[in-house]
Amino acid sequence: MKPTAEQRLWMYRNMVLSRYLETRIESIYMEGKTPVFNMANGPIPGEMHLSNGQEPCAVGVCAHLTAEDVVTATHRPHHIAVAKGVELDAMVAEIFGKATGLSGGHGGHMHLFDARVNFACSGIVGQGLGPAVGAALSRKLQGKSGVAVAFMGEGAANQGAFHESLNLAAVWKLPVVFVIEDNGWGISVAKEACTAVPNNHLRAAAYGMPGVHVPDNDVEGIFAAAGEAIANARKGLGPTLLEIETFRLAGHFMGDSEDYRPAGEKEGLQQRDPIPRYRRQLLDAGLLDENSDAALVNEAQARVETAIRFAQNSEFLSPEAALDVVFV
Amino acid sequence: MTTKKATRKLTIARAMAEAIAQEMRIDPRVFVMGEDIGPLGGVFGTTRGLITEFGTERVRDTPISETAFIGAAVGAASDGMRPIVELMFVDFFGVCMDAIYNLMAKNTYFSGGKVRVPMVLMTSTGGGYSDAGQHSQCLYGTFAHLPGMKVVVPSNAYDAKGLMTAAIRDDNPVVYMYHKSLQGMGWLGTEKGATVAVPEESYTVEIGKAAVVRKGNDVSLVSLGAGVHHCLRAAEVLQKEGFSAEVLDLRSLVPLDREAVRASVGRTGRLIVVDEDYHSYGVSGEIIATVVEHNHTCLKAAPKRLAYPDIPIPFARPMEQWALPNADKIVDAFRQMMLNQ
Amino acid sequence: MQIAIVIPVDLWEDDSEGVMTAWLFNSGDEVDEGDLLAEVMVEKAQYEIIAPSAGVLTIVKHEDEVVIKGAIIATLDA
Repeated sequence: MKPTAEQRLWMYRNMVLSRYLETRIESIYMEGKTPVFNMANGPIPGEMHLSNGQEPCAVGVCAHLTAEDVVTATHRPHHIAVAKGVELDAMVAEIFGKATGLSGGHGGHMHLFDARVNFACSGIVGQGLGPAVGAALSRKLQGKSGVAVAFMGEGAANQGAFHESLNLAAVWKLPVVFVIEDNGWGISVAKEACTAVPNNHLRAAAYGMPGVHVPDNDVEGIFAAAGEAIANARKGLGPTLLEIETFRLAGHFMGDSEDYRPAGEKEGLQQRDPIPRYRRQLLDAGLLDENSDAALVNEAQARVETAIRFAQNSEFLSPEAALDVVFV
Repeated sequence: MTTKKATRKLTIARAMAEAIAQEMRIDPRVFVMGEDIGPLGGVFGTTRGLITEFGTERVRDTPISETAFIGAAVGAASDGMRPIVELMFVDFFGVCMDAIYNLMAKNTYFSGGKVRVPMVLMTSTGGGYSDAGQHSQCLYGTFAHLPGMKVVVPSNAYDAKGLMTAAIRDDNPVVYMYHKSLQGMGWLGTEKGATVAVPEESYTVEIGKAAVVRKGNDVSLVSLGAGVHHCLRAAEVLQKEGFSAEVLDLRSLVPLDREAVRASVGRTGRLIVVDEDYHSYGVSGEIIATVVEHNHTCLKAAPKRLAYPDIPIPFARPMEQWALPNADKIVDAFRQMMLNQ
Repeated sequence: MQIAIVIPVDLWEDDSEGVMTAWLFNSGDEVDEGDLLAEVMVEKAQYEIIAPSAGVLTIVKHEDEVVIKGAIIATLDA
């Protein structure tokens, strides 16, 4: 499956948007946190998990989805939220904890919910899989269209929820696709040190579903594999496990010294940054030129700056609003 | 036939199944998932007959994968369905608590109230039949402690049907904890008082409202589930001794009807809480705090609690029976209270 | 006319004894044909006793009594 010119530009634009958003979050996050790194300080307090480097996974999969399709994402959700079409102003405001945020500040960066585009994420490894299976079951029972996609890191493949959910989805032949973003590291522990198989897509065999491996963080390779898996789900052919070899350019979380990485790994990864690489592909294909690329980048940056200003200019809910919305 | 309508009785198991069936008839969003809830009808009879009427799409036997199917219920509920899932024994929450307390109970809050999770998690509680410590716990306090889920505990079939209907119609997650000894399954040593007259038509019992099931003036016996029946038996004994005990059935732990507790103790001046869940950090302490934080001067005596000791539930019958609350212990507690007053 | 309610000989497979675990009506109640009257338990399995016709119920075998197939457990007066 090959992307159209429009799809290729869409994927590139969303990668650029996500990357610039995270570049800005990274710098704002550090405000108030130097020289003493106190996580509670600054305009964006709390834990922060950046996804830069992993953008191809989000755009290659979400290029095949519409608002009615369901996505459950992880503690590292920004790139997927952007690609799924989560409302950007409200998302950034939620990351700042503001009243205008997706959830009025009740959730924050690891708990982004946008029911308008059926997006949710959870801070617990592997726990988005069950809900994705349930959303797929819901569509089947209601006779409604739409598929569910559960994103996870490679560490989640060692969680019980992974095995239970894959089995259940396969037993009931549900329209769900499981996507592993394999960035090689579970916080500081290398995949090889904690995973008994060289590649997690092999585990699909245990559940009688196709397991597909996409090497090299390749945007269009991901697009092709995801396209087939999602099309199969839509046709009622059941679930697929998709394993994508990707990498994170940053640490597990902000403030991570990344001492666990072998010497030179990070520098090597910078050389393989998927965004300049895809830009080069699109330039070579004649879909971009220097001018149109600059315009695209400027537009993405302007969009992000608008969202950040919106968040910065928004108020917090009153402290007592903490008591609201426990129940509806 | 008015005689019949007024007198037809049901076991709690049948009352639960009847409520589910009636809701499934009027609401296509309602469906049931769990282990052995299909042709077997639920190990504790909660889904008996449903698969015959509604088929395997809406009455789904699951793999023994509580994390997956309870998580799936969260996903289906968030997507417009109204799932009912059964966790066969509440003791099994250890293998699936993330789906329950981090997803089911928190997604509404984290979404700022925009995502609704209308699901019922029904689960069996309680011991007394030598099933030992991994199949006999109540854990009421554990679930009621964690915010974001309503918790109900019926003591009789009338409340069981009405609370189930209310739980299914609620837009919030409801944990529905039914005590095995009340189910009407004879092999669990059935409490006869739980099998009561139940209207055939659909009705709700409001979640969050306690019930005075016996009026009295000298002491408030506050309990839930099977404990209510111990209290009623104790009240009979105390009546013969010249005391009138009021029995309050909490019915819901979240929300908790604190006003009803305070009103009862305000009248009687004495409080004994009976709870089959663990003694410390639990329901019994919460009930006492509900009264004394509000007004300690209404008490004529220090309040007492009869709860399960802080021990894993033992297998051997003499040890287990020794540890469980019962009517004799309640009567003794009242006598002690009067002596020490 | 009085009709005896007996435990059907094919209600369960072997000749085990059962126990009356629940009567869902009281003696003196009017019942309709097809009403679920009682539950009988054999080991862990519960079987249903259905009213064979309408009438006023008189219970013969009460809760917790042991019963065998073919036993008269109640009567119905039409």
